[in-house]
Amino acid sequence: MKKIAAFALATSLLLGVTACSSGESTKTTAKDDTITLAVWGSSPAETKGLETTVKSFEKSTGKNVKIEVIQDNFQDALTARFAAKNAPDVFYMESFAAPKFIKSGVLADISDDVKNQDDFYQPVLNSFKDDEGKLFAVPKDYSTLALYVNTDLLEKAGYTMADVPSDWDGLLNFSKTLQGKLAKDQAAMVFDTSMARHMSSLIASGLNPVTAEGKADFTSSPKALDYLQSLIDGHKEGYLKNAKIDLGVDWAGAAFGTNKAVMMIEGNWVLSALKTDYPTVKYEALEAPTVNGNKETMTFTVGYAISKDSKHKKTAVEFINYMTGDGQKQWSELSGTFPTRQSVADAMKLDEDKVLKAHIEGAKYGTVWSSGVNLPVISGAFDNQFLAALNGDKSVKDAMKAAEKEANDEIARQQ
Amino acid sequence: MGNRRYLNFQGYSFMMPALLAILFFTIVPVVYAFFMMFYKVDILSGARTFIGLDNFRKIFEDPKFWASFTNTFRYVLVVVPIQTVIAMALAALLNSKINFSRGFLTIMFIPTLTSSSAMTLIFMWLFNNNGLMANMMEQLFGMKVEFLTNPSLALTVIMAMNIFSTVPHFMVVFLSGLQDIPDSLYEAASLDGANSFKKFLHVTVPQLMPITFYVITMGLVGCFQIFDQAFILSGGTGGPQNSTLTFSLYIYQLAFTSNDMGRATALAFVLGTIIFAVTYIVNKLLKADEVNG
Repeated sequence: MKKIAAFALATSLLLGVTACSSGESTKTTAKDDTITLAVWGSSPAETKGLETTVKSFEKSTGKNVKIEVIQDNFQDALTARFAAKNAPDVFYMESFAAPKFIKSGVLADISDDVKNQDDFYQPVLNSFKDDEGKLFAVPKDYSTLALYVNTDLLEKAGYTMADVPSDWDGLLNFSKTLQGKLAKDQAAMVFDTSMARHMSSLIASGLNPVTAEGKADFTSSPKALDYLQSLIDGHKEGYLKNAKIDLGVDWAGAAFGTNKAVMMIEGNWVLSALKTDYPTVKYEALEAPTVNGNKETMTFTVGYAISKDSKHKKTAVEFINYMTGDGQKQWSELSGTFPTRQSVADAMKLDEDKVLKAHIEGAKYGTVWSSGVNLPVISGAFDNQFLAALNGDKSVKDAMKAAEKEANDEIARQQ
Repeated sequence: MGNRRYLNFQGYSFMMPALLAILFFTIVPVVYAFFMMFYKVDILSGARTFIGLDNFRKIFEDPKFWASFTNTFRYVLVVVPIQTVIAMALAALLNSKINFSRGFLTIMFIPTLTSSSAMTLIFMWLFNNNGLMANMMEQLFGMKVEFLTNPSLALTVIMAMNIFSTVPHFMVVFLSGLQDIPDSLYEAASLDGANSFKKFLHVTVPQLMPITFYVITMGLVGCFQIFDQAFILSGGTGGPQNSTLTFSLYIYQLAFTSNDMGRATALAFVLGTIIFAVTYIVNKLLKADEVNG
């Protein structure tokens, strides 16, 4: 009798396992008006903005949106979801990663579904198009880099905002003098070592790191090498410091907020942290410095994309049109991000705010962080080798040569 | 005979949940990986084209593969012997009749209980260029050491971290082995006039051989698969200059960053072969089968 009971138990366990796996299939029969939206975790302001705007959408249409927050390594998690054929209906898509997803053919073509496309800032919208001009994601917001100055520290060192130069070379010289008046663990300026922050400066120095054929090019312009050298010299002499490497804080905003840095070139995402985490810091923002006389900044944008296999494409299209249309003002105001529609930006009068104006102006000439399917490989090679130059292991020229080779070899292997 | 068949059936039915889990989560993926490594696979769309052994050619031509190869071997060669020796020595110390040995054991076991990501973050905080260690080095010896950004030191930090966190676990394993050694052996050695160091060398070490084999094997497998510490320390890049790029990290990069599942599975196969070969050699060298115990 005992044995039979044990067998029954084992069988029921078995059935339990199968029952679990069959649970998945009920998803497909869910009501057509519920879509899933995958987002990454972000600041409390953005989370609140998203939840509120999604609620407005649900109220006005009667459809449901299930928000899934993926806390870490969003792209990797999303890739795994696609590999498992279990992709969310709608998800955030960075312009940087978009070409890869477009090339794989897993995003829905929404060229004809997005309303009033002329109203968007075109460079931002274009970063989600393929070579033939088909649209695969619609930008929800964007950020640009600007120069932030901690006015308390600046004045303590005996300067005013008028002393801060607007060109890169001038800014370096200024940082050099300023550093002499700071404590050892303070930096005149914090800088970032990744290509994402420097691509526009490289272009302003006559070098597009991604050639027309999609190959890497880091060496064809001596001026660009000079620019990179200026970063290395500044780091060596200590007036340029990296938040993570030299100051031991997570990111530039934290260094700036804890009065460890007088200046930083950062995106408007720092604003919510400065407001909530470091409310006592006084600061002003200027446009990012000119390089070789050219205005430059980086523009980062994130859009909404729809999975090609989504079973609720109609609702998904309705949703992204709402989020980037009627709902954009609400989203932008709550989250503190910049609207991608000119009409919304005009209605919000963003350029009347002194700090925001520095960022909004940048959108006019900013380089969008997106450049074909090979950009991740190319920027990865740059980031890897630029550190070697920064350590002094290699000269800038050797490091960039190595980066170029590393990237182009890998591109060839991926063909 | 019929009774035996019934017993077999009964046994398998008890094992069924575990067998099914192993089948679906280990055997099927392994077989699938064998199949995928001959294809070029786009992980996003699942599209694949047969390319034969091309993935292996690409891997062996790739300087990043050789970088990960060197790093991983360097890592294994340093970490495994050191962690085994330290674990054995600490276990022997704790096994002798010192006071508060339970207390020491508890404290020493904490690093093993700490999650490796938390440990990595603590080490990053200790070793960054403005951190405790860097500042101490500067004050004591007047030299500025950049632990995390210097390619020749970044991996060393991970090594130290791993030794720190795995030693206690293996120490406990050794400790249980030590308590199985009969006292009569030590008595006999004492009668022969051996001092405590000689007793350790000629009684403890040989008697612990089966345990040592276990510790070395688990250490080897764990070290070859080192991933999380390198991932967190380098932010997933394996930098600076590929110095923290390990096999597993590179497999991950190939699959998720390069979108190339075929090459990732081919590299996983290479890694599996290496672990198998090394374990086999160690097994032969230590003659684990012949040791009594």
